[in-house]
Parts: sequence; C-alpha cells; structure tokens
Amino acid sequence: MTAIVRTEGLVKRYDGTLAVAGIDLEIEPGEIFGLVGPNGAGKTTTLRMLATLLQPSSGDAEIDGWSVTRNPDQVRRVLGFMPDVFGVYDDMKVWEYLDFFARCYGLPTAARRRMIGDLLELVDLAPRRDNYVQTLSRGMEQRLCLAHALVHDPKVLLLDEPASGLDPRARVELRELLRELRNLGKTIVISSHILPELEELCSSVAIVDQGKVLAHGRVADIERRLRFGSVLRVRLLAEGEALEAARAGLAADPDVASATILDDGTIELGFRGDDAATARLLAASVAAGLPIVSFARAASDLEELFLQVTAPDRQPLEAA
Amino acid sequence: MSDATLPTAQRPGWRGPLAGLARTGGGIGAVGVKELRGRMRGRRAFVILTIYLLLLGGFAWMVELIMERNMSTVFGSSTYAGASIGQGIFAALLMLETLQVAFLAPAATAGAISLEREKRTLELLVVTPISSIAIVLGKLLSALVYVWLLIAASIPLTAVVFVYGGVAPDDVLRGYLVLVVTALGLGSFGLFCSSLVKRTQAATAITIFGVLLISIGSVFLLAFWGAMTTRTTNDGTTRGSAPQELGYLNPFLAQVDVLCGTETSFGGWCSLESSLLPSQNGVVFVDGGATGPIIAPVAPIPIGKNFVVRGQGIANDVAGPPAVAPFGVVRDGLWPRSVISWLILSAVFLILSVQFVSPTRRWRLPRRRGRQAGAT
Repeated sequence: MTAIVRTEGLVKRYDGTLAVAGIDLEIEPGEIFGLVGPNGAGKTTTLRMLATLLQPSSGDAEIDGWSVTRNPDQVRRVLGFMPDVFGVYDDMKVWEYLDFFARCYGLPTAARRRMIGDLLELVDLAPRRDNYVQTLSRGMEQRLCLAHALVHDPKVLLLDEPASGLDPRARVELRELLRELRNLGKTIVISSHILPELEELCSSVAIVDQGKVLAHGRVADIERRLRFGSVLRVRLLAEGEALEAARAGLAADPDVASATILDDGTIELGFRGDDAATARLLAASVAAGLPIVSFARAASDLEELFLQVTAPDRQPLEAA
Repeated sequence: MSDATLPTAQRPGWRGPLAGLARTGGGIGAVGVKELRGRMRGRRAFVILTIYLLLLGGFAWMVELIMERNMSTVFGSSTYAGASIGQGIFAALLMLETLQVAFLAPAATAGAISLEREKRTLELLVVTPISSIAIVLGKLLSALVYVWLLIAASIPLTAVVFVYGGVAPDDVLRGYLVLVVTALGLGSFGLFCSSLVKRTQAATAITIFGVLLISIGSVFLLAFWGAMTTRTTNDGTTRGSAPQELGYLNPFLAQVDVLCGTETSFGGWCSLESSLLPSQNGVVFVDGGATGPIIAPVAPIPIGKNFVVRGQGIANDVAGPPAVAPFGVVRDGLWPRSVISWLILSAVFLILSVQFVSPTRRWRLPRRRGRQAGAT
C-alpha cells in the first residue's frame, strides 16, 4: 500500500540547535499513528513541519503525494491540524466558529450548513450550537477544535497532544471520537504523552528522542525486533518458603530473565517471551499448583518500550 | 458519541486564470465576515455610532454659535458672514474627524494580528488554504469598514455647511478623500506593527507613538526647521524651506491644505500652511484682494492644467503665464501628495505584513552565526 504520509530525512535546525535530526517515516492510509517521545524530542516540530507551519531546514515530507515544501497549498487541503495549544475566538458562537473555517476552505453556503450540523453531531456539540465558544469547557473546546480540523473532510489529521489538559471523562470521549474517525477512514497522526491511551488507539508508533526516530512500526513488531522483554507481576497466596520456592520455579522458565520478590510479596519477573510464552508460563504455573491470585504485565507495553528505548544506557534483555 | 458521518466537503471549483483572485477574494470575505460579526454584533456598534454623531452634531452647533457671535462684531455682508460660518464649521468638523481617524484607524488594526498570535488562533488560520494576503486584507478592511462607516455617517452632518455657503462640494470631497485615505494608511501602519510585534500592548504603543510622530512630531520639526533657518538682515527677513516631504504624511496638514482651498483670500489656514511649509517653488494664490506679508521667495512655476481657484476666486488661465502671487502657498499642493504618499505607504505596509503573517515565507534578518537557541 502507498504511504499517505512520508517523510524523508526531515531536519529542522533553530540557530544551530538540531530539533529534528533526519526523520524518516511512512504512514499507511487509515492508520492511527502515534508519535511518542519525551518533552523536546521533536514531536511537535515534526508535526508543525507536516502541517506546513514550519519550513524544514532540509529533507521533505509528502502528504497524499503533495510536498510540504513545494505544494503547501495542496497539502493544506488534504490535512486537518490540531495544535497542542490553541485558542478560540471570543465573541463567536460555536456554529459561527465552524462556519468561519468552512469559508476559509471555500465551501459553498449549502455545504457549509450541512457540514456544520453533521460535525456538531459528530463531536457531540449540537446542543451547544448557539453558545459562545468562550463558555465551553476545555473538553468541549478540544472537540470543537477537532471539528474545525474536519470541516473540509481531510484525508489526514495531525493531532498534537490532543488529550493534554483533559479530565478522564473528556479523554474517554476524545478516544471514542478518534476511533469513530478511524472507522471513517481517516489517517490520524497523534502525538501524546499518555502512552496507555496511545497503545489502545494506535496501529503503529514511532518512538522519537532528540530529534531521531529510535523505533518505528507496530508495537508488537518493535518489541519483537528489539527483543526487549516485559515485566510480569505475579501475586500468590503464599509466603515464606512456599513463596521462595515458587519464585525459584518461575525463574527456571527459559523466558524469565529475572525473578524478584517485592516487599508486598509480589513476584516480579523480567520476561522476554511473547504473548504465547506468557500464556504458556501462566498455564505451567497453574499446572504446577501455584496459588495464583493475579498474573499481569506491570505496565503497558508501549510505556515499557518507550522507557527502555529512550533509556540512556539501553540494552536489550537478550544481550544482557 | 453520535453516529453521524462526516460531511463530504465539496472541492471549490477554483480553476482558470482568475483562480488566485477568486481564492483571495473568498479568503478576504471569510476573514471579513468573521471580524464584522464580532464588531457589529448586538447594539454596541450602533450605540457608539449614535453617540458619535450626537457629539459631532453638538460640536458643530457650538462652533456655529461661536462663529455667529464673532461675525456679529465684524462689518460685512450677510453672505460673507454666512460663508465664514460655513467655513468655520467645516474646518472644525474636518479637523475633529481627522483626529478621530488618526487614532481610531490604527487602534482598530494594532491588535489584529498580534491578538491572534497571543490567543494562539493564528496557526489555525494559516494552516487553511487561505492566503496571507487574504488574512491581512480581510483584517484591514473589516477594521476600516467601521472607521469608514463613522466617516460616511458624518457626511450628512458636514453637508450642513452648504446651508451657510463658503464651502464648495468639491472641498468636502477633498476633505473626505484625505480622511478615507488617511484611515487606510494609518490602518495599514497599525496592521504592520501588529504583524511585526508579538504583543498587542507593544504593537499598540508603537502604533500610537508613530501616529504622534507623524501628526505632532512632523509639525514640530517643520516649525523648528523654519525657526532655525530664518535670517533677519538689513535687507529684510529670509526664511529657508523645510523639505516639504516632512509634511506629506501629516493628515492634519493635508486638511489644512484642503481648508486653505476654501478661503477666498489669504486666511488663517493658508497662513498656517505657509508658515510651516513655505513653497520652495513659488506661490500660487491668485484670488486677489488679500494682503499679507511676503514670507517666501517668489519664483514663477508652471501650473497644472487642472488648477482652478475655488470659492470666490477666479479660474486661473491655464494657458497663460505662470501664476505668481505673494503668499507662499501652492494651493492643492500638499493634500494630493499626502494622499499619494499614504497610498504608496499602505501598499508597502501591507506587503510587509503579509510577509510577517506567513509562517514559511517570512523574511528573516540575518542572524549571527554560533548563537545558541533556547528550547526546541
């Protein structure tokens, strides 16, 4: 399949400081693609170059076959952008806000009217149609901003930290909305710090640090490729010697790199196996008669992957 | 969450040779409608307009009373008295409206771009296909529409002067042309400051400082120049000429020139103009009948074919010899230059504003090498 978003050696320098140091990405149509990285990693700069807000120092990017440097006008027609920090116009009603942006895209009056109604339904703001935008909550503003990015029915959506500053309910609503957009066939590039949410949403990710892509692809593929392990936590209905015996038994498994008893009696396993190996270990433990109360991964895979990939002295478990 | 499906936006059919123009026009319309919705919403704009007209009317009425009192002590015909009152009211209204335009027009545009930056709404705007030219022109025109509305609303009030006489319709046209173009020029200046400076407060301060420099600073400089170059010897007093260009951008001086045109003899406005801007080329004031000091060296100059002396004056013989008169004033010499200067400057300010609004086409000053940036 042809990539709808492609970057080739994308570089951005600010007065000698390298913000983005040659990023190469390929994103397939219909994907929800996560850009993950610590603060200052270059995620926002990358998104802003894709959105034609910044001129790359070198390299280029293409969206739907249009170059962001040579054809910015065409790029703007096929993408919708939602920045990390945005404001809303005062003294403007919700429908007027969308109407304004629809006019900017040259939509005729009848199409504008229809579009405003449909979009307000989509983002659940139809009852707020005649409210002034400054009276909306943060979550509603976020949804309105997302709606504004959709007025021209773009193929690609660039969302920079869309969940920042939202309460848990608003985050859930936003996640549902993004799923709906994915079902509508949109390609969504999303940067976020909230990794468990990204993991749930994204079909693939790029882990970015210091302006470089450290890993890129599906989470499971990256995990397999880099041979990193995960951390499993096993809680048993046992203590003392029985607990120690159980730890030793688990440590004997070939996929277990380490087994430690934590203060609360939980056994933490450094595990380098895949899902099948995890299932096998659990079955073997039950078969061995271990009184298992809980058996779970310590953190989300993406979070763990992110921490391991961006660690200054990272080493794959296999090599360790 | 709703089950609504996304609307299918229709691609606008902008093709052909006028595509760029149509896009820009559409963009100006989009920004203009948005801005005007905010400015003209509710009763606020119309209440301000009403109060403005009431104040202006009250002011004109008071000037009329003052002029009436003054004329009652002056010997002359009632026609002369009426004309003087008409000229007085016209002058007062024109100067007040110039003052209003000089501060209202740049104030209306000084926050146009910087406020968008401060509120973080500019990025949302520039990632749409709308061009930077459309953003700048839309902002300027929507801000100026209200200023022009105030100017237009005052026309019926100003037309009262025709009841008294002394002011011809073309005098009013001249005065209003200067007002409209000054609003455009100073509005463009405010917009330029707004696009150049990030903070609205700073943009407004720079704009107001610029307006003061243009309106008061230029007059002071002209007066200073005149005082410093005046020489009194046994042969009489000679006075050097300040560069006329110093007065080109001063809207008040341009209106003084317009008002000088209403005077049938060498009156106060012509005197003021000649004292600040003695003609370098000579003197053209051929009404006759007036007396006054010779305050500038007189040299014949050719008169354009359009030169016509208004009021009770006589039409100049365009085919005849150059007109020479002893007052140091070239009628219609300043305001056309002022209008042209502001039109040119407006274009320059707008081009610069477009560059500063555009995120990727901005002209950048060369930076010193090796300077370290902050956070990325």
